Parts: sequence; structure tokens; C-alpha cells
Amino acid sequence: MRIGLLTEGGYPYVSGDTGLWCDRLVRGLAQHEFDVYALSRSERQEDEGWLPLPPQVSRVRTAPLWTAVDDGVVHGRRTRRRFAEAYGELAAAVCGAGWVGGAGPAHAFDNEADRFGNALYALAELARDEGGLVGALRSEAALNLLERACRAPGALRAAREARVPDLLTVAADLERALRPLSLDWYEDDGLGSVDLCHAATGGSAALTGLLARHFSGVPLLVTEYGVRLRAYYLTSAGDAPVRALLASFRGQLAAETYRQAACVTPGNAHARRWQERCGAESAKIRIVHPGLRVLRSADVAEAAERADCCTLVWVGRIEPEKDLICLLHALAEIRRSEPRARLRIIGAPADGPDGAGHLRQCEALAACLFPDKAEGEAEGETESKTQNVFPGGGSPVSFEAVGDQGLPGVAEAYAAGSVVVLSSVAEDFPVSLVEAMLCGRATVSTDVGAVAEVIGGTGLVVPPRSPQALAAACTALLRDPKRRARLGAAARARALELFTVERNIAAFSGIYLEIISRFPVRRTVLDETGGPLPFGIPAEARVPWRWTQQSRPTARVGPRWAVEGPVRETPVGRTPATAPAATTAPAQADAAVEADALVQADALVRDEAPVPTPTSAGTGEVAR
Amino acid sequence: MNERGPTGDSDLGELRTSHAWPDAGESRSSDAGESRAWPEAEELIERGAEDRPQTPTSPAPWDTRPETWPLAAAGETGDMYVRAEPAAHTMRRTPPTGHGAADPVKALLRRHRQLCERAVDPLEIAARLEAHGMTDRAAARFRHRDVFSLAEELYARMPRVEEERTPERGAVDAPDPHAGGMKPAVTTLLPGALCAVTVAGVHLTEGRPRLVTAAVGTLAVLLGLRAALRRGPLRVPSGLTGSTGGPRAWTCWLLAYAFCGDGLLSAALDGGPDGPWPVTTAPVLALALACAPAIWCVRLFAVRARRGLVVSRSLKEFAGLVRPLLLGVLTVFLCALGALLALCATALDEPASYAGGGSLGALLLLALLLTAHGSTHAPTVVLAAAGAGEVTALATVFAGRLPGCSFLTVPVQTVVVAWGAGAVPGLVCGLAALVLLAHATRTLTRASAHALPPGSP
Repeated sequence: MRIGLLTEGGYPYVSGDTGLWCDRLVRGLAQHEFDVYALSRSERQEDEGWLPLPPQVSRVRTAPLWTAVDDGVVHGRRTRRRFAEAYGELAAAVCGAGWVGGAGPAHAFDNEADRFGNALYALAELARDEGGLVGALRSEAALNLLERACRAPGALRAAREARVPDLLTVAADLERALRPLSLDWYEDDGLGSVDLCHAATGGSAALTGLLARHFSGVPLLVTEYGVRLRAYYLTSAGDAPVRALLASFRGQLAAETYRQAACVTPGNAHARRWQERCGAESAKIRIVHPGLRVLRSADVAEAAERADCCTLVWVGRIEPEKDLICLLHALAEIRRSEPRARLRIIGAPADGPDGAGHLRQCEALAACLFPDKAEGEAEGETESKTQNVFPGGGSPVSFEAVGDQGLPGVAEAYAAGSVVVLSSVAEDFPVSLVEAMLCGRATVSTDVGAVAEVIGGTGLVVPPRSPQALAAACTALLRDPKRRARLGAAARARALELFTVERNIAAFSGIYLEIISRFPVRRTVLDETGGPLPFGIPAEARVPWRWTQQSRPTARVGPRWAVEGPVRETPVGRTPATAPAATTAPAQADAAVEADALVQADALVRDEAPVPTPTSAGTGEVAR
Repeated sequence: MNERGPTGDSDLGELRTSHAWPDAGESRSSDAGESRAWPEAEELIERGAEDRPQTPTSPAPWDTRPETWPLAAAGETGDMYVRAEPAAHTMRRTPPTGHGAADPVKALLRRHRQLCERAVDPLEIAARLEAHGMTDRAAARFRHRDVFSLAEELYARMPRVEEERTPERGAVDAPDPHAGGMKPAVTTLLPGALCAVTVAGVHLTEGRPRLVTAAVGTLAVLLGLRAALRRGPLRVPSGLTGSTGGPRAWTCWLLAYAFCGDGLLSAALDGGPDGPWPVTTAPVLALALACAPAIWCVRLFAVRARRGLVVSRSLKEFAGLVRPLLLGVLTVFLCALGALLALCATALDEPASYAGGGSLGALLLLALLLTAHGSTHAPTVVLAAAGAGEVTALATVFAGRLPGCSFLTVPVQTVVVAWGAGAVPGLVCGLAALVLLAHATRTLTRASAHALPPGSP
């Protein structure tokens, strides 16, 4: 099977945020062939080069997103009119109040989504037929259309107040976002030749997949570990009209992506909520947790022996979102009842002057909270007879980084203490928490993002921004080594079951097969002279196999049995909001329900025509 | 196993009903009451931008309702969750908020007023609330199913205020691509100064040194011109420029014609040239000196246009603002050039050729303006056309000497007889300048001409 892996600022480049995951995926699925289509985010990223690629990567095509090459094509009058129609529709959809921050369920803005999608594809067709889209998107005509859409009745409130600089900013940003439309990737020898497009992120990469789906009918799988739209809201700046229009564009692009994708795989239930909010159908969503490398159990056991019974460990990047201030206050609280308690903060500050400033702020707070150096030193001396000297010297708090003396790796960092603490006020997928679980540590974490879903009862969870609750939980664990061991073992077992690389890869392997089974290839194979090649597609390709479960009618023409009713993915009544543990529960329950649905669908099929059941098909294959 | 928080035995007064949030006016007072417990927090933590996730300034959790943390009640594995249960006398001191207060969302709204005012849709409020640590479970205490519906209520209840914008803000914020301190001011004067020095040198020397001075001076002036244009507003992003060789060569040809074209034309019409013909230095010197006002005019235009961009509400309004600006800038430049032409003519004791010099100056200024705003095609074509026109004028005169072709000389001869030799470049460059002006009034009044070029991030 040939997979088109679509990345944005990611995989083949060394400095990509999805690089590690994609690399593991490609190496783990060696039975498939991968074509990598990468969009680079900056010139520096391109200069830094690629990761070493395994042999199953058959081709890599790259395009820059950070610069636009104006191909110098000047449109004629008819093309200009075509552009004006398409761009006017797009602008009207973006400025229209139909999509007010995903205010309703998916069907509420179907018309608007149709409008947006049609305009998008019209622009893409124009770019493919005529070229010159970059110049057109920057032209005065585009600005005029945008202005007209903003002043039209029924436009967004904020859009009506847009001034000329706002229009310029929006037009420039739309041009930047629509750069994938001008790529020459959608030909039959490009993305048209792959069996499945896998977009590693939302946004531009998914837009590429959308166009491949539109032009060649290639099914699209979208993996989003962090929802793009949410990240945009958190980073957006500028005047209200600009933010409103760009949020509307991104939101509608996300909605269109989710609508057209064959399958959407969020990294956790938190991302899933956002995707559902933006219009993704629940039936399409499969949560695939990120996988982390597993330590050998011997290392873990050894680490457990070495652990200092009074030490708390915090590992991560030192940022304001991690709320170390709260943690330091909590430590002060803990030390009132447990004077020997210490804290090791292991991690580097975030890049930039802000990160270093925050680290200094934390250190200053630690020095203010724990000024009793002499007492600490005295304690340290008495303790040093029995165990290692604490790296922080007299202070009960130490700031270290992985790679310092005594901390050669991440595993040692987690092994340095008996309890791992996570004090964030905002998290997406708490990687450090999963690492701690894999190291078999007992954890105390704040209830943010996907934490409750990840920990699932194998660690303590406290409300965020509450030093008292954090202190109470830590004190409880520090005083109870048996409970610590129990929680640590449970956490490791849970992490081994849910958050390993193997599980991640197996999930994607299954999803690939499932998608490809729903999108039978109906391509005519031509020979050298251009005539249809007899037996170009083997007869097996037409066997009405059991796994050809088609849930939705699509643009491709398939047999009737392929467009039967949808298969429920999760049992009714289990929503992630009410029971986070349910969504991450071992897959047997879900699998059982799915099997039921399969049997029902099978019965329907058998009523119409004698088709081999899964079991008989399987045995038949074995016999053959 | 139920666990009791430390609140049971210490710091009971700190559990408050009002929320310890940095941007809530009311919470400052309660924070002050708490400053004994957490003195350092007050001093150390700077109050950052309100909408970013920030460090809390007090230890209170999201909503310090003195009741069981609902997680513990909801989770089946109750033993895993910590309950923060306060002691009995805390209950007495703090009035219950959850069910007692009529409107818990109101307090939240007050606390996040700025966040909610700034938000453009409910999802933005949801995203930012989550970044502040809000979860679905916390939203349940505001009687909402999830953060999204809570955000929707906040969005709906927030009175929309008109975002006031200071018109200067954008002008200050926008990076001025033409700013450059003292150095550009010096480099704009460079061609004029070099040209003046060369002219003086040529006047003071004789024979071979004079030739050397002229050659070296010409080279120096060209280099100076290049430096001035490269540093100035002509720094066009590399993605936009086509071939710059064409317009450059044509510009040199036009200047060369201004230098020696009129003399050659007169000599040719009289049957010459026999030996060296007279040259006119004054217009060339004046044009070289006019480099500085030209670049200043281009800069003035760019700055004023950007200011107009910020204050104008619609594209039409902007076009209406820029059109008089363009004409004004052109007028100012022509006045300066006229003064320089008169000055140079007086100094060098030559006839002032206002028509030729002035029209060429206007043409070059318009080409400079258009190139600086990303439109390179039209200046190239028009400059080439003007240069070709002058070449044709000379060529027809010489071609008229061929037998049977004397009619070719007629148009040029008529013009020269009527208005003098200086009228030919004046006509050609004037026509070209008019065409370019018409183009510029269409192109430069567009807002898209004043946007940053597509190559920039």
C-alpha cells in the first residue's frame, strides 16, 4: 500500500515537531510504501537538512510555506472573472456569520461549509489550470472582494469594522494559508498515485490532503495531536477584525477537513472534544494516543531502589504554564508537616528571554521561601551519612537540567525522586506524566488537559492552582511508601498498555487497512499506447470482501454493499466528558460492540446476496 | 480512603470565596489580607499580559468552594483523588458560593472581563479559559456541561464594546522599510557631490588629465548613484525584481542624451558633427543633485501613504487620500529640480534646459516610485520607450542623409526649428512621464501597492 504522508514543518526535516513520531511510524510500518510530501516552515529548517530516511520512503517532495514564488502569470479577463467568483465566495463564507466559533453542531453550518469548500476547490482548480494564484490573491481585486464581503449584510460584527490595514493583513494571511493550492503535487504521478493520504497535522498539511481528495479521490486520514484551531486562538494577536476573520477561515478549514476526512485521529480525548466541536463526526474519530519509548523493566526496578524517599521530582520545560510558583508554595506547605521533603526541578527554560526570566523568577521565589540555609546544611550533613548529598546544597529546592552530573538521561531524572509532580495550569498531552508512569513512579498532577484521561486513576489528581491540595496529595504519598509502590506499578502497567510506540503503530496500521477497505480503487490502468491494460488490476481486487465496510457514500463509485449504514465506534452513553476513563479503557469492550455491528451488517449483506462471512473467508484463505 | 487536605489544620482563613485572580479588582484586597501567608508571591510575580496563562498570585484554586472537590465524587476510584475538605469553622466563615450565590458566572465574567471583551468568538474564550486551567469539571460548578457552553454563555453575556483604536498605533507599529538613520541621508547626497566635484575638476584641468578626470568622475557618479538607490527606497525584495539591467541601461542612455544629445542633434541637423560638439553639463549636474530630493520624496510618499492606510476606513477613501499626495510629491520634486536646474545653469553659465531636464527628472522620479512599490514592469517599458524615442530622433536625422530619405528628417527638424534642440528630449520624456503618471495614479492609489511584498513572512 502506498501512503502519502503529508507534513507541515515536520518529518523529513531535522527540526520538526512531528519528526520523531513520523519517523517511528514510517519505520514501524515497513510493509507499506511511503511518499513524503513536506511543507517547510522556514528557511532555517530547510538548511538544517533531513533525518536519515528508511528504504520504505520511496520519494520525498518538499515545498516552502514561508515564501511564495510568484510565477508571473497574468490572468486574462475570463480567468480574472473566474477568480473573482471563487474568491468572492470564499470571502463571503469567511466573513459570513454562518460559522460563529462552531456555535452549533456539525449540521448547523452545513450550507456555509459547502460554500466554503466549493470556493476553496474552485480556487484550487483555477490554480491548477491557470497558475498565477499568488499574484491574484495579493491583487487589488482580492482586496476589493474582501472589502465587499466585509460590508455585505449578514457579515460578522467584527468584519464590518475592518479597515484597510485589516483587509491587507487578512488578504496576506489568506494568501499564505492558500499557498498549498499552487503546488503541483496533485497530478496523477504525485498525490494522485497514492492509496491513502495521512496528514500528520491539521492546517496546511491537511489542506494538501483535502485537495488530493478533491482531485483524485484519495481518502484522507488526519492526525492531530494538538488541535490547530485551539493553538491559533491562543497565539492570535492583532485587531479584532483580523482575528475574527482569520479565526473564521481557520475554523471553516478545520471543519471542511474533518468533514472530508475518512478518519480523524486525535491524540487524546481533550483534542477529540475540540474536533467534535469543530464539526468532526464522532463516528470518524479514533483516539490514538502518542507512543513513548519504553524503558527496560530492570532499569525501572533499579531506579525504584535508588529513589530517595523524601524527594519530589518535577520534570519538564520551565514555563509559566507549568506553574512552578504553585509547586514551590506547595513545597513550603509540605515542609511544615514533613521537614525533610525536597524538590528537584529538572528541565531547561523555554527559549527566548522570557524563559530565562521565568527561571530566574522561580529561583528567586525558592530563595525567598526557603532562606534557612544553615538549617538545611545541617540537615544535609546528617542525611549525607545515609544517602547521597542533595544537589541543591542547603536549599530544599534544586534546579537542574538533564545531562547534568548524576542525571545522564530522562530515566535517571524520574528515578531521582519517589514522587513525580506535575503542576501545570494548561497541558495538551502530558508527556512528562506518561514518562513518569513508564518509569513506574507515583505521580501527583493537576487536573488539566488530558491529564485525568492519561492517569486514569493510577495517580493522584488535584485541582490546578491549588498549593494546598497539591501539598496534601504529596504529603500523603511521601508518608505512604506502600501506596507509592502500588500506584507506581499500576501506572507503569497502564502506560505500557496504552502509551507505547508499538500500540501507536499498530493502531495506525489497523486504521490504514480499515480506510483502504472502504475506498476500493477503481482506477483504469493504461498500457504504453494509452489503451486500457487487460488484467491491469487483478481479479482479487473485485472480490466483495468482508472488510469493505463503506459507511458513507463518497465521490467514488463503489458497489452497493459498500455504502451500507455506518458502524458505531463507541457504545452509546459513553461520552468523554463524563467518563474520561471510559474512552481509554482497554479496547475489548469497544471491540465487542464493533464486532456486534459487524455481525449485524453482515446479516444485512447476506439477505441480499450470498457473501462469505468473515470466518468462512478466513478459513478459505487458510485452506488456499 | 478519604484524605483531608492541609486546610483542615492550617491557614483556614485563606480559603476565600472571592477569587484570587490577578485582573480582578476585588481580589486584590483579599490578596492583601493574605500577604502574610504568601509574602513573596506578591513581590516576585510580575503581572504579565492578562490573556496569557500566568502564574497565580495566590494559592487559592479555581473556585474555592468549600465543598468536596467534585472529581472525588465523580471518579469511581475515589481513593485516588484528593479531597480538599475544609474544617467546620471555615464553613462558618465563608459564605457558600456554589448554590448560594445566584450567579456564579457573573463573578467569572468579572474576573475575565478583558479576556471576554477581546474574544472574537466563543471558541476563543474556551481556548483561553482552558489555558487558564479551566476544565469541564470546573465548568460543572458554573452549571455548565463543558467549557464550550460556559464560554458561550460568557460570550453572549459580555457587553460588546467598540474597540478603540488609536490611528497612530499602526503607523508606529509598522516597520518602516525605508528608515535607516544617517547613512542613507549621506548616500543620497553622494551622486550630486561626486558630480559637482567632477564638473569642477573638468573645468579646472586641461588635456589628458581632463579626460581622465571626466572618465573617473563618470564612474564615481554611477557608483554613487547605485549606492544611493540600493540603500534607499529602491531596496526592492529580490523576489519581485525582474531584470534590473534593462531599466538601468536605459536610464544611463537618457542621462547620456541629456549630457550630449542636444549638441549632437543640432550638429547633425547642420550637417556635422565635425569634431567634438558642445555638451550640456548643467542638466546632468542638476539631476545628480536632485537624487537627494527624489529619494526624500519617495520616502515621504511611502510614509504618508502608510499613515493614510491606517486612518482610512475603505479602499476608496484610501485612493482619495493618496492621489493628491502623489501629485503633491511630484510637484515638490519638480520645484526642487527647477531650482537646481536654474542654479546649475547660472553656476556653469549655460542655458537652462527646463523642458528636457524637468521632464526627464519627472520620468525618473515616477519610475523610482513605482519600482519602490513593487511595480517594475511599467517603468521598464516606459523608460525603454523613451530611450528608443530619443534614439529614433537621432537616427532619423542621420538616416535623412541617405539618398531619397530626406523626408525622415522632417519631423525632428520641424520641432527643432520651432522650439530648439532641447524640445526633442523634452517631448519624448514628457510624454513618457505623462504615461507613467497615468499608470502611477492607478497603481499607487491601490492599497495592495502599500502592503508588504509576498516574500516577507
